[in-house]
Amino acid sequence: MHLIDQYAYSNALRRLHPGIKAGLALTIILLCLTLNEPAVGMVAALWMLGLAVGLARIPFRTFAGILLAEGTFLLLATIAVILSFSLHPSVLVGGWGIGVGPIWVSTSPASLYMGANLILRALGAASAMNFLSLTTPLVDLIDLLHRLHMPAIIIDLMTLMYRFIFVLLESLERMVRAQDSRLGFSGSYRRRMENTAWLATHLFIEAFLRSRNLQQALASRGYDGGDLRVLPIEYETDRRLLVLGLVGILSLVAVWWLV
Amino acid sequence: MSLFTFSAVTYRYPNQTQRPALHDFNLAIPGGEKIAVVGRNGSGKSTFFLHLNGLIKPRQGEVRFQGRPLDYSRKGLTALRQQVALVFQNPDDQLFSASVFQDISFGPLNLGMSDAEARERVLEAAALCDIEHLLEQPTHALSGGEKARVALAGVLAMHPDILAADELLASLDPWGRLKIREIFDVYHAQGKTILLITHDLGLIKHWATWVIVVHEGKAAFSGRADDLLGDEAIMNETGLVQIWRQAMQSC
Repeated sequence: MHLIDQYAYSNALRRLHPGIKAGLALTIILLCLTLNEPAVGMVAALWMLGLAVGLARIPFRTFAGILLAEGTFLLLATIAVILSFSLHPSVLVGGWGIGVGPIWVSTSPASLYMGANLILRALGAASAMNFLSLTTPLVDLIDLLHRLHMPAIIIDLMTLMYRFIFVLLESLERMVRAQDSRLGFSGSYRRRMENTAWLATHLFIEAFLRSRNLQQALASRGYDGGDLRVLPIEYETDRRLLVLGLVGILSLVAVWWLV
Repeated sequence: MSLFTFSAVTYRYPNQTQRPALHDFNLAIPGGEKIAVVGRNGSGKSTFFLHLNGLIKPRQGEVRFQGRPLDYSRKGLTALRQQVALVFQNPDDQLFSASVFQDISFGPLNLGMSDAEARERVLEAAALCDIEHLLEQPTHALSGGEKARVALAGVLAMHPDILAADELLASLDPWGRLKIREIFDVYHAQGKTILLITHDLGLIKHWATWVIVVHEGKAAFSGRADDLLGDEAIMNETGLVQIWRQAMQSC
């Protein structure tokens, strides 16, 4: 989370209007979901990789590494689609099979195509989401939702929850270090479980106390229970992303049309 | 006329079984001073501060601001909080937004300012606190000193007449402390009043123009620093004499 957040605040497209980045990412995701061709997903992933590395200056290894992790997860999730398991030898027409002990494992070109289609289109959609999360801080996305007239209560909750993630993470790290320095996690299994329970309890109490302090701090700055009003952020526009994004979207449609 | 007057104020937190946080607390706070508030942990300093902003209401007694009893209605509190600003001990308790720029804009917008006015206030406060380069940073990526300055900017953007800071300097390095003291001095030069809870007795001698000692829920002393240091009875009663001697020895 820290890594994604760090790039979101430091990439070259940071100052760009989040509406443009979110619009591009959502269009790519929709195209990957609706255009039923594996090539569409592959081209989408390549476009997003190119925009993230070329325009946003996200390191290739970072973007590719995240995509690889997601790809591994997708591969594991689609095993059931690609392979068939049976106790009796049976192979579909044109397929292949192998016996592993008492279990017969088989696949077919149709299953392989379906698996590849699922993985590539999901990767295309995931790469669009990665592009958005690595180039756009959550503050900008919350600001975008506010401009889109999302109910204020949801905006306020998102603002506070996002802020509290880091505040509580810091508290958690501090507590873990304090326990660890006194051999809190090196005793018996039972002792480790007890210490973990203590940690969870105290983190809950800390969250509760901090929320009370925050409420006092907000009130001291004139907050009387309405919306948490803050100034909108000012953004820039970048024609390069608009043009390249449009070319990318058209290329996905063209690939789907031609294949 | 005193800026604030506390008359026989008593405050007990819910479920507090020991003595009340404040008990028969009597104090008159002068305006236009740099005031150091000292006292042991648990003596009631922070509870006293929360009364200044109307965040808590005395169970008994009365708090007056500029001669009038505090008005705890929504309108009255808005007016009070426009003039009296609190900076909390832990900046993480105060910074609610992940955007430094947006967090500072919160106070001015609550005062009913337009976006343009609020933007102006944010930039002005950021310049005063020397955090212009941090405006686009996320609050969770700031150091302790930077968070303290952002929290300070968040209240200075409201242009309060009275600034009350609870141990703001305690967790800062000497450079951070120096910077905050410079900001205080600039603010005080504009005729504003500053109250600072501190455990640094050096500040009493070299920075404060007025000192308040809170001891066991009561205001044990309120006056000039030299008067405090010369008052052997108060110095002994509050235990400040040992701390002061130690501070002098280490100098």
